Amino acid sequence: MSVETPAPAAEKSATRSPVDRIVEAVLTQRIVLLGVLIVVVVAWLSYMSANGYLSGDYDFDYMSATLIDAVPLALLAFAELVVIVSGRGGIDLSVGAMVSLVGMIFGFAYGKWGWPLLAAVLLAVVAGALLGAINGFLVARIGFPALIATLATYYAYKSIALVINDQKPINSPQIQDLYTLTGSVSVPIIGDYVPDVPLGVFTFLLPALVVLWLALGRGTFGRRLYGVGTNDVAARWAGVDVPGTRMRAYVTSGVLSGLVAVYITAEFASARPDSGTAGNGLALPAITIAVLGGVAITGGVGRLAGVLLATLLIVWLNAGIILYFEGNTGTQFQLLALGVVLILAALLNGLTTRRFRGGD
Amino acid sequence: MSQESRLSLTGVVKSYGAVKAIRHADFEVQAGQIHALVGENGAGKSTLIKIISGATMPDAGSVTYDGVPVTIASTNDAIALGIATVYQEPQLFSELTVAENVFMGREMVTRGRVDWAAQNEKVVSLLEALGLPAKLSTAVVGNLSVATQQQVSIAKALAGKCGVLILDEPSAILTDAEIDVLFEIIRRLAADGVAIIYISHRLDEIVKIADQVTVMRDGSTIGTHPIQDMSVRRIAELMVGEALSDHAGPRTVPQGEPVLELKSLARAGAFHDVSLQLRSGEILGLYGLVGSGVAEIAACIYGLDKASAGDIVIEGRAVAPKSPREAAEAGIALLPANRKTEGMFSFQSIAFNVSIGHLQRFSWGKAFVDRRRERSTVRDLMKRLAVRASDENQNVGDLSGGNAQKVMLARQLVERPKLLLLAEPTQGVDIGAKEEIHRIITDLADNGTAVLVVTSDLQEALRIADRLLVVRTGSIAAEFGPDAKQVDVLAAAAGDREGTATA
Amino acid sequence: MTTSTDPHADPTATPLKTRGRVLPSPVTPAEIALVAVIVVLWIALAFATPAFLSAGSIVPLLVEMAPVALIGIGMTFIIITGGIDVSVGGAIMVCSVITGKLMRDHGLPVLGCLAVALGTGAVLGLVNGALIAYGRVHAIIITFGTANLFLFIGLQIFASQPISGMPNTLAWFGRGVDGRTLAIPHSFAITVVLAAIAWWYLRHTPGGRHFFGVGGDPVAARLAGIRVQRRILIAYVITGVLVGLASIFTLAKGTSNLDQSVGSGQELAVIAAVVIGGTSIMGGRGSVLGTVLGALLVQTVKSGVTQLGWPSQLSDLFVGIFIVVAVGTDLVRRRARRDP
Repeated sequence: MSVETPAPAAEKSATRSPVDRIVEAVLTQRIVLLGVLIVVVVAWLSYMSANGYLSGDYDFDYMSATLIDAVPLALLAFAELVVIVSGRGGIDLSVGAMVSLVGMIFGFAYGKWGWPLLAAVLLAVVAGALLGAINGFLVARIGFPALIATLATYYAYKSIALVINDQKPINSPQIQDLYTLTGSVSVPIIGDYVPDVPLGVFTFLLPALVVLWLALGRGTFGRRLYGVGTNDVAARWAGVDVPGTRMRAYVTSGVLSGLVAVYITAEFASARPDSGTAGNGLALPAITIAVLGGVAITGGVGRLAGVLLATLLIVWLNAGIILYFEGNTGTQFQLLALGVVLILAALLNGLTTRRFRGGD
Repeated sequence: MSQESRLSLTGVVKSYGAVKAIRHADFEVQAGQIHALVGENGAGKSTLIKIISGATMPDAGSVTYDGVPVTIASTNDAIALGIATVYQEPQLFSELTVAENVFMGREMVTRGRVDWAAQNEKVVSLLEALGLPAKLSTAVVGNLSVATQQQVSIAKALAGKCGVLILDEPSAILTDAEIDVLFEIIRRLAADGVAIIYISHRLDEIVKIADQVTVMRDGSTIGTHPIQDMSVRRIAELMVGEALSDHAGPRTVPQGEPVLELKSLARAGAFHDVSLQLRSGEILGLYGLVGSGVAEIAACIYGLDKASAGDIVIEGRAVAPKSPREAAEAGIALLPANRKTEGMFSFQSIAFNVSIGHLQRFSWGKAFVDRRRERSTVRDLMKRLAVRASDENQNVGDLSGGNAQKVMLARQLVERPKLLLLAEPTQGVDIGAKEEIHRIITDLADNGTAVLVVTSDLQEALRIADRLLVVRTGSIAAEFGPDAKQVDVLAAAAGDREGTATA
Repeated sequence: MTTSTDPHADPTATPLKTRGRVLPSPVTPAEIALVAVIVVLWIALAFATPAFLSAGSIVPLLVEMAPVALIGIGMTFIIITGGIDVSVGGAIMVCSVITGKLMRDHGLPVLGCLAVALGTGAVLGLVNGALIAYGRVHAIIITFGTANLFLFIGLQIFASQPISGMPNTLAWFGRGVDGRTLAIPHSFAITVVLAAIAWWYLRHTPGGRHFFGVGGDPVAARLAGIRVQRRILIAYVITGVLVGLASIFTLAKGTSNLDQSVGSGQELAVIAAVVIGGTSIMGGRGSVLGTVLGALLVQTVKSGVTQLGWPSQLSDLFVGIFIVVAVGTDLVRRRARRDP
């Protein structure tokens, strides 16, 4: 039994100027920082728009319309939140591939086999859960490092998605009709004062957000998840089922990926086998947004609100960039923005841990 | 003949915040001398060693090495001077071989290439000097037993310039045969002129191996004596001092039913033939030094380790918990010894830390947390245990050691356990909180809980236990009643075979 | 008296065969298994499509695997130190496009191309290395960020146009007749030589051994006097330089065109090769030989799938399965060692 020297009394500086305290709040409270950044970015872009620097109007209608991109990003970022919070290097590189594969499965069910919509969506959710469970099994039960396990399943799922329909998308009429689900609708009650919002926000994002908020913030699952992510040894000693909790985290990621698959299929009116894996895939932006939103890569830390705000920041920033640059350059600058933002956010994390929390 | 001491510390003082870890320490070790440093937990030994090895710096005092005043500002400084420390936790690279470990960072190089042959020769000679087989040099460290890894650590320490070798509780994990080998090595090193500082609780070994012994008590070095003048008992007396612990007063132990019975419980490599009986309302103390097996006994009862033989009987039913969850279902609660690694969720709230062990209880339909019930139960417990915090939402990491420990204790008390195991219940806790926790424990027992306190804090053991079992090298060495004398208990635990044990 | 495991009977200690052999055997059981798997696959493929064993199919296989194995050498260093680099794909794009443009627009000669490519790669590696070694941030986060950064830079240089009309300057590194001597592609030979050098460096120089120390336990490594940050920096710079060289191989592929898809997804292929080759993602242990074998296996699967006429994407599925099997067997073996 080791001998512990008595813990030093917690040192708290007695009085600090209000400016100091505000700076600390902004730097250490990620949500505050993100809020401030969103305001700054939106204000700046609106100013640019008002003065004609942008090729379109950066106004609330536009911002609201771009929320259509926020839905899948936010959902996948939530998936990464859950998995990364579970600790021990938790991460999910396979979300994009799960989206592709479940998208094809949904496409088959709804577009080819004529299943009713609800049944097909249910199938998508179950399929996603199963794919996520495979990840969970490898990581939680066998002990694979999450990076490796989800790398392997990324490869596997990606290839299956491409192979099961010979690399061809599914474009049957039923699928194409789904496009109507992604239109914008006016918000009930306050619709006259507020721009139209894409339907997906109400049908996908808000329900997912509510369910996750209940599960993580008010549910026993959330307690276990954060406990396991903060200190899995202590969690075991306290009687928590550590592997089971981690398994549930990966299944959740799979379910969210399944929902995104349905959404993206509707958005593009086509079940594409590379929907989640084209270019650099969806995993990278999802992880970026999660980290930006305050999720600590070491586990145990991360809030839904932070991730949601990070999504909005990125989406609205990207929306502005597209208006400023023409054509392809715009997408390229979005990449730059994402990369720079991620690095700065991570460096900030490191800096504030040292300065304000007494170091690690 | 006056001999310049190899290492000399004078007037050392060290505080951590408001706590005085060392009030006054003078310490001197000569070349070729085997110098033991003893003291109870909290006496200041480990702080003194930290200062010598460079892990921390003293607030006051001077250090000289071979007569020259030096400042040891970092572990690198210490190593450069020739002060090598072998800790209990081997700091080795588990994927590499022994030879690679010994030479990592100071490879022997010929023409730009690592000279494997020369390194191997050196490692083999080091190993053979330690009585270890030569082929060990190509063994991967991660595959070796902890004892062997420790021996590798010693070999590693000896590979470089070594004027002072500090051994921190080396024998805790060694068998008797291995200890003999270790002593051989130590004697040989001393004959070569190395100054050896040997820290141990095992007074019987110290009497065998050391030339001199320095005793620390309550943060001060209270004397250095040649070993010829000392016996186990005398050293124990010095360690314990005049102050007799005021026992909490004889408790009328209600004659409850036996709640816990261990029948010849054993776990290969840790302990064997452990039998005891604990009734409800009774506080049984298990006292043992580092490596005695006492912590493993508690872990076994709680389902963290499997027993290899014997039975655990709870209220007449044999149980074999395979996990803490099963133990909890059987009505067993355990307060972990190392709250930082095994107990605390440090950046979560007090409420989180308390309820995490009992989410079922605080839930609606097992899925949602019943915050109102959680809040009221936690507040209740906070009041009962006098936890000093702003409210139940405060971060546990911000609390003092004593208050954090009380929160850990609160977690165990949410559902009245039949059997409460407490491992090192007041480690890292200040005096005031210590007394409060002791009072809570006696209250619990008065209300019918069977309490098993596993501790290496002798005063604590004597203060609160109705009965005290001393565990030594994996088995129960002696039993004492509430009027036992500290000296006797310490002697029994430290290996005084002629000690008087009172039942 | 308690008994503990007898330290004198450690069954897994490699016996001292010769006086000089103090490292664990140069080839681990995992690598031997890998060789066996590759041999079995080759034999099976030879039976299934006799054309497989012809120079016409082996040579392209070796040419395709060379860049992955080459970058894998650097990635092995990185993963041994406990880090990772997912920006390799973007770095390939940057090095390729800069060199390609200079080659086409300014007629850069071979040596000039090498200088530009390797130099660019070194700079990119330095950026990663500096941020990771001194920024106290996890490698995966930083390299996710730099991945995007590099992609941006590369795409900017492309200026939305694929490059066409590149001269044949680099044919010596390519897959055509000029790229071979005695039917062995130069790019493959270079890769093997560099891998051998790296293997020797990691095993036989103090600097090389220190990478293992850093990955095994950075704190203990620092205490042992190792300059941890410098080792990390070097690992990323080496990888950057190798990325530059791999870009040369990519440019030399034989087509005079270069489009924006260059490098896409390569980081995952490289990491897969390293992991299948037995290097542990946790750090402290690894081998360049394993990485080369891993790259060979991955490419064998890809070529095999094409030769058999199967959908090419199936190769990814097999790669995923191999990763699981390779890492899984290692995990199971370690667990068996720990609690027998």
